[in-house]
Amino acid sequence: MFKKILAAAIAVTAMSAQALDAPIVGNVESKCVVTLDKQGVYGNPTASVLSTDSVDGGVEPVVRYDVVIASAYKAVITHPSSFSQSPALTDTVSWTGSTSVEAVSDAQMSAYDTDKIEYDSTTEIDLDYTGSTWFKVSSEADYGVSKALPGGTYTAIVQANCIAL
Amino acid sequence: MRYIMCLLLVLSGPVAAHSWTPTYPKLKQSFVEGIYVAEMELWNSRGDISYYTFEVFDDNFEHVPWAAEERNVPVEYLERKKINIYIRRIDLPRVRYICSRSLHVKQNKSASLVSSRICSKIK
Repeated sequence: MFKKILAAAIAVTAMSAQALDAPIVGNVESKCVVTLDKQGVYGNPTASVLSTDSVDGGVEPVVRYDVVIASAYKAVITHPSSFSQSPALTDTVSWTGSTSVEAVSDAQMSAYDTDKIEYDSTTEIDLDYTGSTWFKVSSEADYGVSKALPGGTYTAIVQANCIAL
Repeated sequence: MRYIMCLLLVLSGPVAAHSWTPTYPKLKQSFVEGIYVAEMELWNSRGDISYYTFEVFDDNFEHVPWAAEERNVPVEYLERKKINIYIRRIDLPRVRYICSRSLHVKQNKSASLVSSRICSKIK
């Protein structure tokens, strides 16, 4: 009798253990990740010019934007219009630059280059598709009227913003 | 296209990224009366960056006063950090964007550096 009760109790316990759930919960959250893929370097092709162009011995910085959900963010990239670090300069510096799409993870993103809005030294692009977009930024600084730049370290900053819409 | 993407990822070298979540934070009453808090998370995988600062803006990107435990926060490479941004109740109607921005140290070679800024939006 005791053995039968014990067997029944084990069977009931085993059944309740079988009913236990192990849920796996996932959540896709809107997110923008800004990645610096290539650090920029200024080349000095002539005494008065600093340029990131490879022809001038420079390297154009490349920034990658990864977005998880479409149309949740916009990229706002500003190329430099002043030095953040330089020797004392007595003449004006004229700045030029641009931002363009270098590579995309989705063919539809190639429209970013035609749809971008440019003003002053800023380029705005609505990130309408999920995935990764690589933007390259060019920058050139011309000192005075072909005046030689004083020796020293020159640093300028590209602002890569990712702003929620 | 997949092969091109894989090739670019391989050629891109070590990852140097910055993320700031949630995208749409909620402002909650903090432990101090009249002060609200947004609980944010910062992730730094930029090896060239050790410090981040924060900014709060209105719709026109005008600065709105804010407070945090520290204004410039040290964040190690590959560290994930919880950041509380405190805002006064009187400023709540103006608050639209809460941003984190990377800070650079002085360089010893001529370079075009990239400062990353990610802004979350109060809806």
